[in-house]
Amino acid sequence: MDLDFANLMAEQIAAAMKGKKISPAELGDTLFRRSTRAQKELNLFISFDQKHIAGEIKRIEQHLPDKNCSLLGVPLALADNIATDDQKTTCASRFMAAYQPPFTARVVSQLKENGALLIGKTNLEEFNLGCSGGSSFFNSVKNPWDLECSAGSGAAAAVASGLATLALASDTRGELRQAASYCGVLALKPTYGRISRKGLIDIASSLEQIGILGRCTSDLAIALQVLAVPEPDNPSTLQIEAPPYASLLEKPEENFKIAVPTCWNEASHLQDEVKNDFQEQLENLDKLGLEVNFVTLPHFKDASLVATMICAVEAFSNLSNMDGVRFGHRETGKHLQEMYIETRSRGFSSKLKKFITFGGLTSTPKYYDTFFRRGQKLRTLISRELESCLAENDLLLTPTTPFKAPSFAAPVSGKEFPDPAGYYTAAANLSGFPALSFPLFYEGRLPGNLQFIAPRKHEAALLQIASLLEKEFSSHRPKFALSLQEV
Amino acid sequence: MSTFEAVIGLEVHVELLTATKLFCGCSTAFGATPNTQVCPFCLGLPGGGTPVLNKRAVEYALKTALALNCQISPEITFDRKNYFYADLPKGYQTTQHFQPLGKKGYLTINIKEETKRIGIHQVHIEEDAGKMVHMGDILSTPFSRVDFNRASVPLVEIVSEPDMHTPEEARLFLQKLRNTLLYIGVSDCKMEEGSLRCDANISLRPLGSKGLGVKTELKNMNSFRAVYRGIEHEIERQTRILQEGGEVTPQTRHWDEETGVTKAMRDKLVAESYRYFPDPTLPPLKISEEWQMEIRSSIPELPDSRYTRFIQDYNLPSYDADVLTASRELGDYYERALDTYREPKNLSNWIMSELLGLLNTHNMDIVDCKVKPHDLGNLLKLIDEGTISGRIAKTVFEEMFATGKKPEAIIKKKGLTQISDEGTLLKIVEEILADNPGSVEDYHSGKDRALGFLVGQVMKKTKGQANPQMVNELLREKLKK
Repeated sequence: MDLDFANLMAEQIAAAMKGKKISPAELGDTLFRRSTRAQKELNLFISFDQKHIAGEIKRIEQHLPDKNCSLLGVPLALADNIATDDQKTTCASRFMAAYQPPFTARVVSQLKENGALLIGKTNLEEFNLGCSGGSSFFNSVKNPWDLECSAGSGAAAAVASGLATLALASDTRGELRQAASYCGVLALKPTYGRISRKGLIDIASSLEQIGILGRCTSDLAIALQVLAVPEPDNPSTLQIEAPPYASLLEKPEENFKIAVPTCWNEASHLQDEVKNDFQEQLENLDKLGLEVNFVTLPHFKDASLVATMICAVEAFSNLSNMDGVRFGHRETGKHLQEMYIETRSRGFSSKLKKFITFGGLTSTPKYYDTFFRRGQKLRTLISRELESCLAENDLLLTPTTPFKAPSFAAPVSGKEFPDPAGYYTAAANLSGFPALSFPLFYEGRLPGNLQFIAPRKHEAALLQIASLLEKEFSSHRPKFALSLQEV
Repeated sequence: MSTFEAVIGLEVHVELLTATKLFCGCSTAFGATPNTQVCPFCLGLPGGGTPVLNKRAVEYALKTALALNCQISPEITFDRKNYFYADLPKGYQTTQHFQPLGKKGYLTINIKEETKRIGIHQVHIEEDAGKMVHMGDILSTPFSRVDFNRASVPLVEIVSEPDMHTPEEARLFLQKLRNTLLYIGVSDCKMEEGSLRCDANISLRPLGSKGLGVKTELKNMNSFRAVYRGIEHEIERQTRILQEGGEVTPQTRHWDEETGVTKAMRDKLVAESYRYFPDPTLPPLKISEEWQMEIRSSIPELPDSRYTRFIQDYNLPSYDADVLTASRELGDYYERALDTYREPKNLSNWIMSELLGLLNTHNMDIVDCKVKPHDLGNLLKLIDEGTISGRIAKTVFEEMFATGKKPEAIIKKKGLTQISDEGTLLKIVEEILADNPGSVEDYHSGKDRALGFLVGQVMKKTKGQANPQMVNELLREKLKK
């Protein structure tokens, strides 16, 4: 093959496909070979097979004459909590291990209609519960930069290793961005409701949003354009047309006013490396002529705890349909009650069971006011603080995670409550504001990250700042985390 | 032996007459093949989508709350009631817990010539669960099937205050409620199809006391009669326990129609926790003043005010007014017939005896009646004008009822017009007198009954078509001579 899709942007792949510079059949073969290899190294997929990839290639060949396919032949990875009617959707849970949805998520149809090629369904924590490992029925995903470390998610690993150009995964308390941070890729969590959640198996409906992973800003912009189409029959989505992201990127806004919360360095487990990198980046932004202000957001630090509590209550309720009556795993019991208990005891990981038990407790009348109602009030407060800060500033800047990809041997988080990985990310879920994680690369070290949060509906500002930084950092773009090119 | 007073509160679930379910586009039609009116959402499948609130359902519920004189919340919330049961696909029911649509309403009932007000605690919207189909008895069924066609069908729940004290009051309240809901057209209220379901909370207290005793909840009463009998039985059961010095166990009980007893289903010793919290997929909904006004203006005249109006405007006895307003359709029928025939009491008599009599015999409803109100009015006019006799009119009406034909057509076709020609009648009268000398003699010896016999003979000869008044007069005149 003359061109290796892994080195190309989505736009270039689509052009090469249209210009017949990439043969679909060869693309399919390469993808399957590399996926097999990556799977062996990283355990990033739950479902992928030659037959499905062949089916995808056939479908794309039918699309070839259609000149409007902006994602023609673009390899896509999909987190396994987003429904597909032709492949199992397991949410990495034993309970769901054989679940075949009778429908496909709207986002998947949108991308496929635009020519995207679905490689397979990627591994994640059970029901996307955090990024810290230990709950997937299909085991953890290894980080392509360091196999001893966690990748956070298969979707992020697929993009980092050059297998997928784009990936979709969900973000409940920051999972999408945290995994992007560990794997050194871009992540965009759009405004709540900007992208359809139809077909997403969500653990916490009010927090969770599907987001996009990619290697360059332009790819994110193209994907967002395809996905951000209002859904008139779904009142939980934004009913406004999205702006033309790609053309906004051509003339980027350069006078961003950026706010940094003074509590940015108060995160528990904040690594010196992350702290130093962040400080260095603040100086860089200054050199670029951007105005950086420190702001006080008194409740920003509580976001992770509040989001965890709300997430647990919603998870308790959202996962109550997993009872063994209509689908999924079922154990036998002497009566209905026993069947429920056996089914759910064996169908869920102990980590998930602890979490939903916490949610069940938090919403009992006894604790409702003390915890849940107070949490709801704090949620409003955190959102208001963010909103007034972003009325004065264009963007809020923090690191994405307080630490880099945690090693399997000494995981930073997972036992602690709330998960310290969510310190910076959870506020965007509570408020529904869009956020973007931007990767920073260093020679011989794991990638680092910056997180930008924009006001509601201002995804364009996030793409513009990312595009600006991308140009600055273009010289130190690294090679892929995993060398799959020879495969 | 102490005397007890029963305290009864009702919880009534009513299916709203919307074409589609509360949060998805599935049909709500009754009687379809099980599990054919379902989608990923109402089946509770993972990733099955987010709820889209059926505005019509809210409209109907608002109409209900207004018709029941409730105070309306300016903003309502939808909340999740979390519990596990095989008929509950999502593992929670979306209902209204924190801010229900209506509160503090009332309905009046007429009992023993008095009007009594029964408080409505609240009116709220919720989704129905699926339907369990047991193999025989619920307690001994080896396995059960579930039909999810009913899952997520919109309901209003109407919770009364514990203001009722006898089975009769409970039955009257439920009938009045049903009648009101039928008037406003929000539900078909068919107890046998489950579109109106009633649970009763029953407790006893010493007569004169203000406190509340331990209550039981009674379920599975599928007719008005069952409500009456179930409550009656439960009061008797609790009375027996208390009189023997025992204690009532707080529990849910099941009315068994066949054996006529209530059976314990489950104890309620531990307060159930449903972990209510606001549904994160449904934002609060504003109920604006304008919307309330709009809905209020769409509410037709309700049974109470129609009842009063019938008595005042048409001079009807309260019994007639009660019968005629018992359903919206019957009241409408009466008033439409009245447009043609302006004798309210005469018309009322005819409807109550003849029309309702035939409907009853044929087990039919007024909406199925083939006789047009206008035609009934005309029939009564024909009697008053002397074209036909009242007796012939009944025969004509029977045919109208069976065929829906106009009275004039039937009379003409069968030649039933009344004979009011004096010459014709006189001839017949003379014949009858000649044929029955015995009766003539009886009459003259003071036996008045003989006149009736002779009238009957004339009517027989004329196949009932003779004008009875004229026959009477002619006979008396002839007999004088």
